[in-house]
Amino acid sequence: MINMALYKREMKGSIKLLVILGAIITMYVSIIISMYDPEMMKTLDSFAQAMPELMAAVGMNADAGTLLGFMVSYLYGFILLIFPMLFCVLRGNALVARYVDNGSMALLTAAPVKRRTIAFTQMTVLAGGIVLLVLYSTVLELICAESGFPGELDVTALLCLNGGLLCLHLFIGSICFLSSCLFSDTKYSVAFGAGIPIFMYVLQMLANVGGDAENAKYFTFFTLFRPEDILAGESGAAAGILILLAGCVLFYALGIIIFHRKDLHL
Amino acid sequence: MNAIQIENLVRDYGAGKGVFDVSFHVKQGEAFGFLGPNGAGKTTTIRHLMGFLKPRSGKCIIDGLDCWNEREKVQAKLGYIPGEISFFDDMTGTEFLRFIAKYRRIGTQNRKEEILERFELDPSGKTKKMSKGMKQKLGIVAAFMHDPDILILDEPTSGLDPLMQSRFIDLIGEEKKRGKTILMSSHMFEEVERTCDRIGIIRKGRMVAVDAADTLRERHTRNYTVTLENESAAMAFARDFEGVRDGLKVTVTTKQSLEEIFMNYYGGEKHDKHGVI
Repeated sequence: MINMALYKREMKGSIKLLVILGAIITMYVSIIISMYDPEMMKTLDSFAQAMPELMAAVGMNADAGTLLGFMVSYLYGFILLIFPMLFCVLRGNALVARYVDNGSMALLTAAPVKRRTIAFTQMTVLAGGIVLLVLYSTVLELICAESGFPGELDVTALLCLNGGLLCLHLFIGSICFLSSCLFSDTKYSVAFGAGIPIFMYVLQMLANVGGDAENAKYFTFFTLFRPEDILAGESGAAAGILILLAGCVLFYALGIIIFHRKDLHL
Repeated sequence: MNAIQIENLVRDYGAGKGVFDVSFHVKQGEAFGFLGPNGAGKTTTIRHLMGFLKPRSGKCIIDGLDCWNEREKVQAKLGYIPGEISFFDDMTGTEFLRFIAKYRRIGTQNRKEEILERFELDPSGKTKKMSKGMKQKLGIVAAFMHDPDILILDEPTSGLDPLMQSRFIDLIGEEKKRGKTILMSSHMFEEVERTCDRIGIIRKGRMVAVDAADTLRERHTRNYTVTLENESAAMAFARDFEGVRDGLKVTVTTKQSLEEIFMNYYGGEKHDKHGVI
């Protein structure tokens, strides 16, 4: 099902990008967590209890007062969405479409290796990189939080949250992978593989602004990942994650089937 | 038994491009030359044999296996040199050959060193920086190192200098003696004529002739016997024109140029639609 020689080669190809993105994430996560001030949060919490309506109006609820709530506001809206997404876009395109486009896919298909195996191996490399990034972020968050604010972090809640984040990125990865398998031209592979996630993210930003634009949330898959709801333990949040998971399984499988059947002009 | 069989293969790209009702076969242990001008459909036919393209109609069979449905079984027997080789830019030649050996799971007992030596190739540089000839040599090593039974070679000598071309032709001759089946495309009649038992000529996606190489050679070579004044002149003449001398008589052989041969089959059209032949 998987070709080890190819897997090793492609994982080696992912390392550089993983290290760069890991470094950026390290910088942001450590700085932002160190900016958390429990005293100020307590003050805010007491305000929230005293005048809940007023505080809700400015987007603060009692929950945001915790360390995890603080992290959700500052890390899960941009940093931990954009950088792993960048990995999905760049590697997703490079793993299949670029080889087909520049002809080196002939080296891989002119061998007694099933096309299904080639595609599955490349998918494993993409998903493996995403898992590594999210895993690294989780460990990093745990270390930063425990060293700066021992006992403040709800570890179980963080693990649930990052489980959801992982599903979101696996889903984004599956869009990039599908697009990479579908198009033999890097131009189109990138246009769709990068275009769709970025467009969806812009819609999400619009929706966050509120007002009429909030309806945009019905048109973006980012709505399916709701950190606040996951922390609140709402059942809707779990359903959203399950949809992402189902979607990514579907798209990965579809990508492999398409690559298996398509004509390759190599 | 036919090692390679193509039956009524059709692939229409529109505007007269593609292959139309192409049929031919290559017998076990035979060398087949696949001749045609640029854009005639050689590579398209080969892509079908490799299982890269699914036939729109007709079929391709190698060793009794369907080239599309059972392509990985077919690939186990094949060695392939693509018409346009691209490697992985980030690898050196050495890394690439090691990767391919592992990828194909052929172990370290292979012909890599022997063929590297034969073509005097040092594969230690980045493939991206290699010249056309070096890339071609690297492609040859990758195609031959697992000692395949069937060789599919798409313009294998392009980019090689004359010395290396002749070494490649020697290699093909040896492989043929070892019982390998060879399908080799080319746009050079001389190259194919020297190595192949039979020759198929394709034009605008249709096979226009499939014949024994000897027959084609006879048809396209002419002998002239010249009588010279004295023996020393005859010797000089024989040397200069590669003739065979018998006393004062010297017999020289001319081959028709490729253009003339093509013209012969192409019904006098000087230029193909796709440019100069």
